[in-house]
Formats: sequence, C-alpha cells, structure tokens
Amino acid sequence: MTSFNVIRWIVWKDFVTELRSRETISSMVFFALIVILIFSFSFSMDQQAAREVIAGIMWVAFAFTGIIGLGKSFSTELQNDCLEALQMVPEAKGAIYLGKVAANFAFMFVVEILLFPMFVILFNLEVVEEISLLLLIFFLATVGLSAIGTLFSALTVQIRAREVMLPILLLPLVVPVMIAAVEATKGALNGDPLALYEQWLKLLAVYDVVFTVVSFWMFEFVMDS
Amino acid sequence: MTIHRVIRKVQRFQGWFGGGAALCLGVGLYLGLIGSPPDYYQGEVVRIMYIHVPLAHTALLAYIVLTIGSLWYLWKRDPIVDNMCQAVAALSAVFTALALGTGMIWGKPTWDTWWTWDARLTSFTVLLLILIGYLMLRTFVDDPEKEARYGAILAIVGFVDLPIIHFSVEWWRTLHQPQSISMRGVSISSGLLVPLMFMSIGMSLLFSYMLMVRTQLLYLDRLLHAKQGRLLSQFHLSKSDS
Repeated sequence: MTSFNVIRWIVWKDFVTELRSRETISSMVFFALIVILIFSFSFSMDQQAAREVIAGIMWVAFAFTGIIGLGKSFSTELQNDCLEALQMVPEAKGAIYLGKVAANFAFMFVVEILLFPMFVILFNLEVVEEISLLLLIFFLATVGLSAIGTLFSALTVQIRAREVMLPILLLPLVVPVMIAAVEATKGALNGDPLALYEQWLKLLAVYDVVFTVVSFWMFEFVMDS
Repeated sequence: MTIHRVIRKVQRFQGWFGGGAALCLGVGLYLGLIGSPPDYYQGEVVRIMYIHVPLAHTALLAYIVLTIGSLWYLWKRDPIVDNMCQAVAALSAVFTALALGTGMIWGKPTWDTWWTWDARLTSFTVLLLILIGYLMLRTFVDDPEKEARYGAILAIVGFVDLPIIHFSVEWWRTLHQPQSISMRGVSISSGLLVPLMFMSIGMSLLFSYMLMVRTQLLYLDRLLHAKQGRLLSQFHLSKSDS
C-alpha cells in the first residue's frame, strides 16, 4: 500500500463512517445554530451593528464547531483499539495525518457552507458579489484550523480530560487564523477593495503552509509508541 | 545508583550562578532605584522598567531554552532533558506572568489604564496561555515518557507559532484602529542603560540558577520514585517467596 493509498483509505473510511452514523456533521451544525442563537440574544443588533460583529460571530461559531469535529476525529478511533491499528500501518505516519486532515477539512468546510446561508438570512447580509472571495477565505482558514487541529486532536486523544484540553491547547495557537479570518471576512462583507485585506489572505496562506509542514513532522512523534 | 554526571556538574557550578545573580541584581537595583536620575518624561515611574524589561527578556529566553530542550528530547529521548524542559516551562510561565504584571503596574500611571490590547501585551498573553496549556497538558498525561513527548511537541509548535501570532496581532492593532496609546520612543541614556544591563544579566543568571535547582529537584524526584518502585517490588517478591 503506498502512502497515497493510505490517505485515500482514511478519507474514505471517515466519510463512510460519517454517512452511516451522521454524528459529526449534524452535531456540528446544531451546535453552531445554538451559538448563533446565543449571540443574537447577547447583542441586540440592527443591520449596521450586525455588519460590524457578524464576521467575529461567524468565526467563533466555526471555530467551536470545528473543535467538536476535530475532537471526534480521533476519539472515534479509540473504540475497538482502532488507534493501535492506525499506529501499526507500515507506511509513514504522515500519510495518516494527511488523510485525517483532508477528512477534517471536508467536514468543517461542509458545515461552514451549510451554515453560511443561515448567517445571510438571519442577519440580512448581502453577499452576491463577494461569494467566491468568501469561499476562498473559508477555504484558507479551514485548512489552517484543520492542519493544526488534527495534530492536537491526535495528541489529546490519549490523555485525561481530552475534551477540555483540545480547545485549551488549540485556541491560543490559532489566534492568527482567527484574526486573519475575521478581518478578511469583515472586509469582504463590507465590500471593501481587495487591496485593503489582501494581506490577511496571504497571512492565512503562510500559516497553512507552515503548520501543515510542522504538524506533518510532529505527527510522527505523536503516533510513535 | 549513581547521580547523572550533568547533575553533578550542575551541583558544582550552581553556586556561582546564584552568587552572580545576587551580585548583579544587587548592584542593578541600587543603581536603578537610588543611583540613577528619574526619567524626564515618566518621572519615578520609569524605575519599574529596570525590573519589567529584564523579566520580559528572560521570559523569551526561557521559551527559547524550552524549544531547544524539546527538540533535543525528541531527538535523544533522554529523560534528564525532559526534567530540564519541565523546569524551564514552569519558570518561563512565572517570568511571563511577572513581566505582564509589572507591565500593567507601569501602564496604570503612564497610559492611565491597567490593560490595553497593545500588540506586545496581547502576544505575551497568548504566550502565557500556551505555557499554562503546556503545564496543564503535562499533568493530564499518566505515562512519563508520553508526558515528555507531548510537551515537547506542544512547545515546538508554539515556538513556530509565536512570531506569526506577534505579527498578526501587530497588524491587527495597527490596521484596525490607530493605537491610541503607544510606547513613547524613549532614547536610553547611559545613566539608564547601565542599571538595565546589570539587571538583565542578573535576571538571566537568576533564571539559570533557578533552572539548575529545579532540574535537580525534578531529577532527584524521578530517581526517588524509581527507587521506591524497585524497593516495593522487591518487598512484594520476598513476601511471595516466603
């Protein structure tokens, strides 16, 4: 089995599990809806105020739901000792990492695509022109979140209090992603010229490359036993 | 059971570091608090800088030491390196917290606020959160080898992340809204520089001394537990024999 096949099989396995159980995506979507609801209670927003804070609310909701998905990614492997089986895969451990990143990215991205129309409807946004740009921002930020999140999902799965430790370790490290994603989304929603927030997209791209490489490398050490 | 040769070396030399730290800090504090003139703009308030700046430098130095130790551990898997990492992480957290605290005390009279989302303050806060996360992570892992490995991974990832965090926070502050409060460019005169130098060197020596003592403590603790385990198993074996 080549490394590429390992990646493919892991993605396939996660997709099939998700299609059969429908646990991860549905829990992520419903959790995000509740977050949106709570936020709309805590700020009484007219349309003007909504434009100011909506990007922040959106990314808080996406990050929190992402953490739910990331946590499940490896905790499901604990059943039937699947984690040990993964550790015994003869190919490089990096292949498992890339497979998991791809699956986690796909789940988070699907959830974001599902949730975005809700934001548009609930907060009266007008986004027809910027939709491709917003998709690019979502893509870049989600790659960053899943690249580093997958590493820490694997790292926290075998410790006590893992549900608490994943966000505690992950959130400080994704501060740049959150800032860049919020600023870029805000720019796109306000219809600002691209030059004003282009640098945030570049920052996201740099973060994605750096942390895919670093996490890929560090994953070897997480998995060795 | 013999004591590790590194620990023996540390035991021999740590006194020099402790003494040097006491001497430098003594001279630095005297010069800073009594011997130097008050700042033209900031008055007597500037004197906390003689503590604050060395604390901040030492906190960053400590994180660099933690990263080097972590890489070293992942490479050689020597438990004594991990004892050093654990010691330096706790010290780094303390120095970072003290740097933030003294910064806030300085900020109150100077900026008229305890807290502002200044770029440097924010990235130091994130650094503190990463270090607290590191210390928490270690307490939640049962297996000592795994504890060391996971800690090292977090420290290295955090080290790569810190410049990006600082960069993004700086952009966010400068682009988002013009900084209402910023550090005035204080050109340092030699009267201020000399005590600052003493304090910086003294603080680094103090950090090294504390690191040596704490590493030793953690090492001896590990040794003691190992010995305890062996004695207990011998005891049980001899009981089951009779």
